[in-house]
Amino acid sequence: MTAIPNLTPAYAEMFLAIAGMALLMVGVFRKSDPIRGVTMLAILAFAVAAVLSISTNGAETVTFNGLFVVNAFTGFAKLLILLGAGLAMLLALPWARNEGVSRYELPVIMVFAVLGMMMMVSANNLLSLYVGLELQSLALYVLAAFNRGNLKATEAGVKYFVLGALASGLLLYGSSLVYGFSGTTSFAGLADALTGAESNAGVIVGIVFVICGFAFKVSAVPFHMWTPDVYEGAPTPVTAFFSVAPKIASLCLFLRILVGPFEDLMDQWRQVLTVICVASMLWGAVAAIAQNNIKRLMAYSSIGHVGYALIGLIAGTQEGARGMIYYMLIYLFMNVGTFAVILSMRVKDRYVESIDDLSGISKTNPAIALALTALMFSMAGIPPLAGFFGKYFVFAAAVNAGLIPLAVIGVLSSVIGAYYYLRLIKIMYFDGSVENFDRPDYSTSLVMGVCALSVVVFIFLPEPLLAGADAAAAALFQG
Amino acid sequence: MIAATLAFYLFSALAIVGALNVIFQRNPVHSVLWLIFTFFNAAGLFVLLGAEFVAMILVIVYVGAVAVLFLFVVMMLDINITMVREGFLKYLPVGLLVGGILLAELITVFAGWVMSDSADVLRAAPAPDPSDIGNTEALGLILYTDYIYVFQAAGIILLVAMIGSIVLTHRTRAGVRKQVIGEQNARRPSDTLEVVKVESGKGLQ
Amino acid sequence: MAELWINYIWPVVWIVIQILMFLVPILIGVAYLTYAERKIISAMQMRIGPNVVGWFGLLQPFADALKLLTKETVLPTGASPVVFFLAPMITFSLAMLAWAVIPVNPGWVISDLNVGVLYLFAISSLGVYGVVMAGWASNSRYAFLGAMRSAAQMVSYEVSIGFIMITVLITAGTLNLSALVEAQSEPLFGVLPGWYFIPHLPMFIVFFISVLAETNRHPFDLPEAESELVAGFMTEYSSMSFALFFLGEYANMIMMSGMVSILFLGGWLPPYDATPWNLIPGVIWFAAKIAFCLFVFIWVRATFPRYRYDQLMRLGWKVFLPLSLIWLALTAGFLVYFDKVPA
Repeated sequence: MTAIPNLTPAYAEMFLAIAGMALLMVGVFRKSDPIRGVTMLAILAFAVAAVLSISTNGAETVTFNGLFVVNAFTGFAKLLILLGAGLAMLLALPWARNEGVSRYELPVIMVFAVLGMMMMVSANNLLSLYVGLELQSLALYVLAAFNRGNLKATEAGVKYFVLGALASGLLLYGSSLVYGFSGTTSFAGLADALTGAESNAGVIVGIVFVICGFAFKVSAVPFHMWTPDVYEGAPTPVTAFFSVAPKIASLCLFLRILVGPFEDLMDQWRQVLTVICVASMLWGAVAAIAQNNIKRLMAYSSIGHVGYALIGLIAGTQEGARGMIYYMLIYLFMNVGTFAVILSMRVKDRYVESIDDLSGISKTNPAIALALTALMFSMAGIPPLAGFFGKYFVFAAAVNAGLIPLAVIGVLSSVIGAYYYLRLIKIMYFDGSVENFDRPDYSTSLVMGVCALSVVVFIFLPEPLLAGADAAAAALFQG
Repeated sequence: MIAATLAFYLFSALAIVGALNVIFQRNPVHSVLWLIFTFFNAAGLFVLLGAEFVAMILVIVYVGAVAVLFLFVVMMLDINITMVREGFLKYLPVGLLVGGILLAELITVFAGWVMSDSADVLRAAPAPDPSDIGNTEALGLILYTDYIYVFQAAGIILLVAMIGSIVLTHRTRAGVRKQVIGEQNARRPSDTLEVVKVESGKGLQ
Repeated sequence: MAELWINYIWPVVWIVIQILMFLVPILIGVAYLTYAERKIISAMQMRIGPNVVGWFGLLQPFADALKLLTKETVLPTGASPVVFFLAPMITFSLAMLAWAVIPVNPGWVISDLNVGVLYLFAISSLGVYGVVMAGWASNSRYAFLGAMRSAAQMVSYEVSIGFIMITVLITAGTLNLSALVEAQSEPLFGVLPGWYFIPHLPMFIVFFISVLAETNRHPFDLPEAESELVAGFMTEYSSMSFALFFLGEYANMIMMSGMVSILFLGGWLPPYDATPWNLIPGVIWFAAKIAFCLFVFIWVRATFPRYRYDQLMRLGWKVFLPLSLIWLALTAGFLVYFDKVPA
């Protein structure tokens, strides 16, 4: 008999896997209103997983024959993912009731998606990276097409699936080239093999393929084509989920893999990423201007935000990593808050998604208008709101790493981007009122309020909140 | 040894012929049949490598299950090949361009191929000596120990795939009467039949 | 020259001889299986059955074969000629291929493959291709419907067959068929035969029923249900191609019976390794077990009505699959708990 591997670091993942299967059973055997019970239990499961993940958080531990790693960075990333997923799940609760959705598989698949993301973040080998990524992607494909009766949802699902499969293929192909060079798939082994090795075409092409695969998953330009369609076609709470959890997971993994095993090839991947980053920032700012559907607008907005977050990654320093983590943290609150606002855009028991529907709501629904104003100002990066600090930290890291042009382009594009964020505010406050919104649901208002408030008061409490991010970034660079 | 070499060339040549036919057949059903043929040759190559377990699993899983469903779907769909080919000429230049670039990249990659110094040692590390252990056992020994994490994760992926396909396709139709075997078995003659003694000349009731 | 003969030509000739030693008895067996089927069913239905051609009708199979050979081969309009003629060949040759690994006596096997069980499973799972190809290539609704039914049916029952095979092979601890048979030689509790059908009785029954479905036999003969689909996927076939299908189907029955005998009935082993039993050679035991299975095949055909399609699917997915899965878990648990895992 061989010894059982050390399971302690993976308690959170194991719990979530078992919880997912148990929830499936609950859903099958619960006769009345299964989705409500399952969603509640799923939120509870996220909470327990978060506690487990905090309790195992600490010194770097590797288990499962080197396939799995936990440290302060993975712990923090998992908390962000669980938080984003939990908030999205809170939004799903009233949505399911209003839309009469009774298929309890929605929260179950979300649980498995989160499991996949946590596995991605903790991956310490190209093999475990790939299975984690596939688990989350597969779950997301299903979520995108969840409204299967709707033509747009089906289109979103098929597009996402086909392009996602292509991206996975690229990633796998790149991994195989890297493996072909180094003879190992473990991150530690790769770092050894690549350190001091003379750069060769095979590895570089391999890494570029890997980057392409990731760029697809984080929806960075030019791999962003699926984003607007998927955001529009998927159910809104799922879109909220899409816009935060997978992005955080993929970006964290991106960071881990690039500054970990591939650190020595920074000169090479920096060029590629710079192009991707600049294109994402600019395209996210420009293309959003023409949008009239608020979910599509958010899609382009998220493309832009990914671009800003990537600046921190390109800096490749501890400060940059810290900036990126801050950015993702702030982005999470801004985005989930905005989607809570979108979910409270209900006219006569129907969800509406057009920007014109926001017209004049400052008079009819001042609270919603105020929340959205705070969120939009923050997205635009106007001080003293949270979004400003997010941008400030990444730009500062870029400047300190000597990447001044990148920071300048970032500032420019955020000025362009500010236009459409401010346009929303203008529509709300200065255009004539069209229709009253229905009274928002309790949990939607809760999420909206919490997110808007945390965006506003961010300036007062960064220290305790950011200590975790500092520790996370430090853990990444101590090796 | 000559036999093995000959078999290798035979299988690989046939695999390539099969693969080309998958692409060039006009009828999609024929394409799938050629694909199956290609799988067989791949299985043959695995046997030559001494990986008989993998060969058999390839046949069982891909040929015996996946390709059957594939064939099933292709036959049912009755794809009109001229419709599929419609945009062919329009997209040909772009396709050729992308393909050409990729080909050039691959040529540069493989022309300048180098391996890290430790690669060979690392690559050989997980494989036990084939002479003292069968390859089924060898696979089992690392699959359920060193790679148990990935193995379990793959299981969860399959579970999600299953849930997903059910969610996206299953519809509960109203008005379908299903056989309930329990009810049928629980039925007793006394529930439906009544034996009455009818006096002659009186009739029922 | 002598070297060439010893190293290259003789091995090939020897393999051909071995193959013929297997094939000829099987083909004769197929011929007389059809005869036996007609005779047994007629006996069960109080009829006489074939009795005109030859003594007791013993030459009937050959008369049938000759009749089929002299008929015209018809290619339906719009049929796909290559696939159309390939289908019966595939069915037939698959049924023959499986015999390559089946041991009929200690050492009497063409290829003593290490992964014999998997090979058998692979070959039996390919049987569906002949049917599907025939159904599609015929360009006929009846044939196509039959093929679709058959594909779904065979794929469904394969799953539980696979699980049952795993159960058996974890008990034996080997994938080699000869070793699998040898593993059944140890008497159970010292008194009962060590054949696996005793400890795995529920799985033996499930396996046998699944084999009926896998070979498209009654009561699962939906793919060729003559009262609904004329002759299912074989509707458009005539002459030699029909004969090949016919041979293939019956050879498949024999092959599957051989599989049942090896996995559950101890292959060539006598029930007890004691004097009256072990005087009979292993081959005879093996043949007798196959004959017994085939008799049950025919018996079932004469007894049961045909299943409806939804009943068939329910049985496969909702009854057999969970059952075989539970039994697999139980077996594995038992073996580990009592430390009986074969090394």
